[in-house]
Amino acid sequence: MPVSRITTIGLAVLLLLLACSLGSGELGTHSAQGDGDGDGEVKSPPEPGPTPIRRLTRVEYNNTVYQLFGDNSQPANAFPPDEEAGGFDNQADVLVVSPLLAEHYLVAAETLAATHTPTLVQELVNCQGLPVDQASCGSDANEFIRSFGKRVFRRPLTDEEVQTYVSLFTEGAALDQAPFSATMGIQLVVQALLQSSNFIYRVEFGMAEPVDGDVVALTHYEIASRLSYLLWNSMPDAILFDAADAGQLGDPAEIEAQARRMLATPRAREAVRNFHRQWLQLDAIEPLILASGKDPGLYPDFYDGLPLLWRSETEAFIDHAVFEADANVELLFTAPYTMMNQELANFYGVDGPGGVEFTRVDLDPGKYAGFLTQPGLLALFAKPDRSSPIHRGKFVRETILCQVPPPPPDNVPEPPSVDTTQTTREQFAEHSENPVCAGCHSLMDPIGFGFEHFDGIGRYRETEWGLEIDATGQLNGTDIDGAFNGVIELAQLLASSDQVKNCVVSQWFRFGYGRIETEQDECSVDEIRAAFAASNYDIKELIVALTQTDAFRYRHAVQENSP
Amino acid sequence: MTLIRRIPLTRRTVLRGLGGLALGLPLLDAMRGSPAHAGGSEHPKRFIVMYTPNGTIAKNFWPTSVLSETEFQLSPILTPLAKHKDDLLIIGGVDMLSAMAPNLDGKSPGDAHQKGTGGCLTATELLPGNFIGGGGQTAGWAGGISVDQAIANHIGQNTPYKSVELGVAVQGANVGGRISYRGPGQPLPPENSPYAAYQRLFGDSLGDPLEVEQRIARRHSVLDVVAEDYKRLRDRLGGEDREKLHNHLLGIDAIRDRLDKAVVKFDGVCQPLDLGPALDVNKIENMPIIGGLQMDLLAMAFACDLTRVATLMWTNSTSSAVLSFIDPAIKDGHHALAHKGDEETVKVHHNTLINTWYASQLGALIDRLKAIPEGDGTVFDNTVILWTNEQARGNNHDRHDLPYVLAGGVDSVFNTGRYVEFPGDTGHNRLLVSLLNAMDIDATEFGNPIYGTGPLSGLT
Repeated sequence: MPVSRITTIGLAVLLLLLACSLGSGELGTHSAQGDGDGDGEVKSPPEPGPTPIRRLTRVEYNNTVYQLFGDNSQPANAFPPDEEAGGFDNQADVLVVSPLLAEHYLVAAETLAATHTPTLVQELVNCQGLPVDQASCGSDANEFIRSFGKRVFRRPLTDEEVQTYVSLFTEGAALDQAPFSATMGIQLVVQALLQSSNFIYRVEFGMAEPVDGDVVALTHYEIASRLSYLLWNSMPDAILFDAADAGQLGDPAEIEAQARRMLATPRAREAVRNFHRQWLQLDAIEPLILASGKDPGLYPDFYDGLPLLWRSETEAFIDHAVFEADANVELLFTAPYTMMNQELANFYGVDGPGGVEFTRVDLDPGKYAGFLTQPGLLALFAKPDRSSPIHRGKFVRETILCQVPPPPPDNVPEPPSVDTTQTTREQFAEHSENPVCAGCHSLMDPIGFGFEHFDGIGRYRETEWGLEIDATGQLNGTDIDGAFNGVIELAQLLASSDQVKNCVVSQWFRFGYGRIETEQDECSVDEIRAAFAASNYDIKELIVALTQTDAFRYRHAVQENSP
Repeated sequence: MTLIRRIPLTRRTVLRGLGGLALGLPLLDAMRGSPAHAGGSEHPKRFIVMYTPNGTIAKNFWPTSVLSETEFQLSPILTPLAKHKDDLLIIGGVDMLSAMAPNLDGKSPGDAHQKGTGGCLTATELLPGNFIGGGGQTAGWAGGISVDQAIANHIGQNTPYKSVELGVAVQGANVGGRISYRGPGQPLPPENSPYAAYQRLFGDSLGDPLEVEQRIARRHSVLDVVAEDYKRLRDRLGGEDREKLHNHLLGIDAIRDRLDKAVVKFDGVCQPLDLGPALDVNKIENMPIIGGLQMDLLAMAFACDLTRVATLMWTNSTSSAVLSFIDPAIKDGHHALAHKGDEETVKVHHNTLINTWYASQLGALIDRLKAIPEGDGTVFDNTVILWTNEQARGNNHDRHDLPYVLAGGVDSVFNTGRYVEFPGDTGHNRLLVSLLNAMDIDATEFGNPIYGTGPLSGLT
């Protein structure tokens, strides 16, 4: 088990800037590597941090076979689920291959090969018809192995590798009913390629010559894969392969240009969606709410179709903000609009669009602000019969501010039953009155109280049981400490917080690089933060900045072990 | 593990030894037996772990009216096991000490559920890592091999599958969702789908014989290339990457090893199963049927001698599954229910119902094994089942007095039909040692020995 240190790059990092030499000192440009004219810029050697080998996740496997074959059967959905760590399913340290998963790889490879070989084999013109000239058919097979194999391995095959698969082709061609079956030969080749370590893992050795000490630049093919799996959660496309073939992925500017091209495609939107689904726990909305349900007596308007709509709303909102509105991260907190379709508009009780498509609907800016007032998350962080200031406050503290409250005591007493003579806030007063509770709950409840105008299914309420709602709250232990009244003010504070922005950077770092940041990544993290700030916190610019760091472009040379 | 001179004797071994061909040989040597057919019986020994999460309700679990080890009343939770009472060994007073160590200097990371689940079969500390536990505590995978795998390494060598890991609605691909480990940081995920598990175990044997033979030949060709590929890359890598590739290669080698021997000759008690129409394995309401199918499959895997070691996980640690199929009045998730205080009588009742249902599933598993004839007895005669939990009580995460139940057939070494209690601070490492010994593994310690060494006395 690889051991990752959790470095909380949250609050105490500023002094680390001292350790980083940022090229010509132009914070916020992407030219941290200098402008290349050698005019005496001080550049410290690259420090890429750790680079554990990354296994394809189920999402990446599905996307990759879609790219390879146009196959949308999503075979990886049958695999054992990816191990989750730090809130993400793509963390290299914990992604392991059990014997069970190895068998699933076998079955998936056999199924994919059986389905697609008939089409693939048509490319081998000298293998068609009868009789087949085995020599010229074999030479077609050789060509196929080079071209198809390159897409599977995401790099050209070595001659030795080609020879291995040519031999397998010959062997396989003899393993059918007919004495020579090119189809069976290709089928076995495809099976073997899809089970290769070069397909299942992202194998990186970097360039042969180190740039400094044991630090090597990645090869152009390796950069192509880093770009495609970061931005698309999938394999490189033809343009990336061409760029790698031409050796045009070494320069930061070339990488940046590719990143910008890729960000403008629908596949990037899907990857960004994947990130938010995991970071903001949007993928928990449906299973958790449906598992615990909502009290039909208190919430007669709730039905099982709502959680899907709620998740779709927040996903559509973020997608719209990032890609249509070119939003900066602050807008995610403050936007006075959301995305709705007709059914969701019925739930909101507003005049919305007709039909099933989600489109922008402006909301009362006195009541709503960004994703924090959207019903999916509010209903997720609620009980079946009431709101939950604790869970809402904990969500903000952990997920938005990247801080971890201490553990709850082992024996948590049953919360008071719903009482129509008291507000929810009043019922949880003991948390602040009882010193045993107050220590930790003061970190969560005063944030969560700001959401009290939203009930257990995330709907706006003026009063609770006819009682006046007190939605004043308090932030402490952050860079935006102070009192606020209601979620609108809370959202403004969060939007203005450097801590929140640094938290967003940390989360993207983890998702983008498949690992938790370490002390060695201080310069990479600083560069991302600087670029993020320089773009006025444009989320797309943050993603581009992820492709410009030492952590992205370099690695420590593999410590080769002799067998 | 240290070798000691210890040869387990069962009642039947002793009888056979005295009356049989052993005369003239030193008595004990003659009964040593081969690893595959250990213990003097001609039938293989088998081992199963059943795991259920979130603790039990102690007052409704432990036997009452206890007059002696053999004279006692089963509690409400264990009542479904009444007809198997003579085959049970109810073990009180054993603590999961390895899962209670405070996290001094980061040496024992994890929250109570993580430690209890990762440690229930490994009896050692978790590795550090980034799995998020309660209150911001974090942990990695378990830090050692699990007892089922240690046993599988010994008695599973000659079967197509060294072990089989099955699950019912197990969620969470993290330390709270895994009990079996090939070694430190090498979890074995359970297969939740009986349909996929059936294909895995029996699929190689289905189809016409020529087709089966050709499929094997092709797989050999492909997997030879694949294994070579992994060897080459493994040997170029260092550190943890190398380890990772090596473990992946072991999985590939396991498939290659069994290609020829995994073809089942359906005959006698070994027959194909009809699993019925496919149900959604993620739906909690389907748990009774899916669980039943998993147990059918497990019993048939034993009947066909595809494996001799299995684990069956019912959901996972901190499972929030609402088990309302047991009683429609149950509306809370299991974990939330388990956290209710002792004074919450209705919730305590619901949690009792849940644990009672799980006991009935253990009974159903025993029923299935007793239904498969083997020699002049049944498959159950040579089987040992451990029912474990990751903690004793859900509402305070107590890991003292774990609710252990062993079920053992007449040819197991265990002296069943008893309720035995151990005095304070008896680490569960020792229970795991007892299980190893019962499977003819000469061991005096397992997991981290600072929590206890040697087998529990008086189980055999």
